[in-house]
Amino acid sequence: MSSGEQPIDQPEVATWRLAEATDVPFVYRLVTQIDPRWYRFSRHGLEPSAMIELMGSIAAGAIVQDAAGQPVACAILTDSSESGTGTFEYYALPTAHAQQCATQVVSELLGAVFVASSPRRLYVERFENDPVLLGDVAHLFTTEVVLPDFLSIDGVYETRATLVLTAEAWREWSETSAEVTQ
Amino acid sequence: MIMTSRIVFRPVLPEDYPRLYEMESDPATSLTWRYRGHLPPIEEYEWALWRQTQQIMVVEGRSTGTIVGYLQLHDTDLRAGNASFSLYSGPEHRGSGLVMEGLMAFCEWAFGNWPIRWLYAHSFEHNVGAFESGLRRGEAVRLGVLRERMVVDGELTDVHVIGIERDAWLASPLRRRFNQLRARQPEPGPFPS
Repeated sequence: MSSGEQPIDQPEVATWRLAEATDVPFVYRLVTQIDPRWYRFSRHGLEPSAMIELMGSIAAGAIVQDAAGQPVACAILTDSSESGTGTFEYYALPTAHAQQCATQVVSELLGAVFVASSPRRLYVERFENDPVLLGDVAHLFTTEVVLPDFLSIDGVYETRATLVLTAEAWREWSETSAEVTQ
Repeated sequence: MIMTSRIVFRPVLPEDYPRLYEMESDPATSLTWRYRGHLPPIEEYEWALWRQTQQIMVVEGRSTGTIVGYLQLHDTDLRAGNASFSLYSGPEHRGSGLVMEGLMAFCEWAFGNWPIRWLYAHSFEHNVGAFESGLRRGEAVRLGVLRERMVVDGELTDVHVIGIERDAWLASPLRRRFNQLRARQPEPGPFPS
């Protein structure tokens, strides 16, 4: 291997940035490729103007990019309430590459959510066969509600669960992981 | 319309709004009901009442002709085949069982008229007792509890997610008894006498 070449099996480094209005076409493409798993959008079908209107109502979002700078995943924070809760929605293009990139940065994204919005409890909702993008923080989430046979996806009814990450669990994990990396 | 010996269950009419507004003005429930202490002025009430709502059915006491409560079908999701419902009992009729009888009529009506497999309700910890008998008998199931989900009057409170499945309702002995009682009631004529 000559100087400057990347080893073949070294994972590429994904990054994230805040979403902008120009990301709407990517988000629309993402929703259509995983339809109906991003159910906030798919619930009413994929009519573009309705979806764009819905996207406009979302306060904050982030785009995950691969090493080449291509968008591969999107996260949004929704349903932020006066009672100190919010919902984290996080979806990647349906490729192993995109899902790997999404998994790499999920803890950074969650950290940003807790810094920016300080929720007491952060919810994630998922169908049972959704890809797991929560990576090494998945164990911090606990299941609170299970809606059996919620939706037929490709002819098979899937359960939908609501998971929660508390601010305490996040703080404890963050402090521990910071100590480990020092 | 569904009638039993004690109730009439029917769609809401605009002339019912003042009574609904009067019931919802009860300070004992103002923080836990849908407006969270911000009941709109009467001139904005119709819009607020129907927000995210597909249908409202009132429960009338037959002996008095007074509306004792109402049920809302809301957030209907026909792609998934589910909907949510809310149930409100007027303060002077809580504990009478009239509105819970209205809930049986509501299940019969909703599953008979909408293509839905599940009805969901979100209930605060201090209201969930209304569902306990249904949970014990099996017509309803507790699908989970959102711990410390809401702040009510400065206190954190849990929210229970209750589900009623269409097939469970259709097969339930409670439904059979309810419809036997209904069958004994004379159907109302098209015009009042």
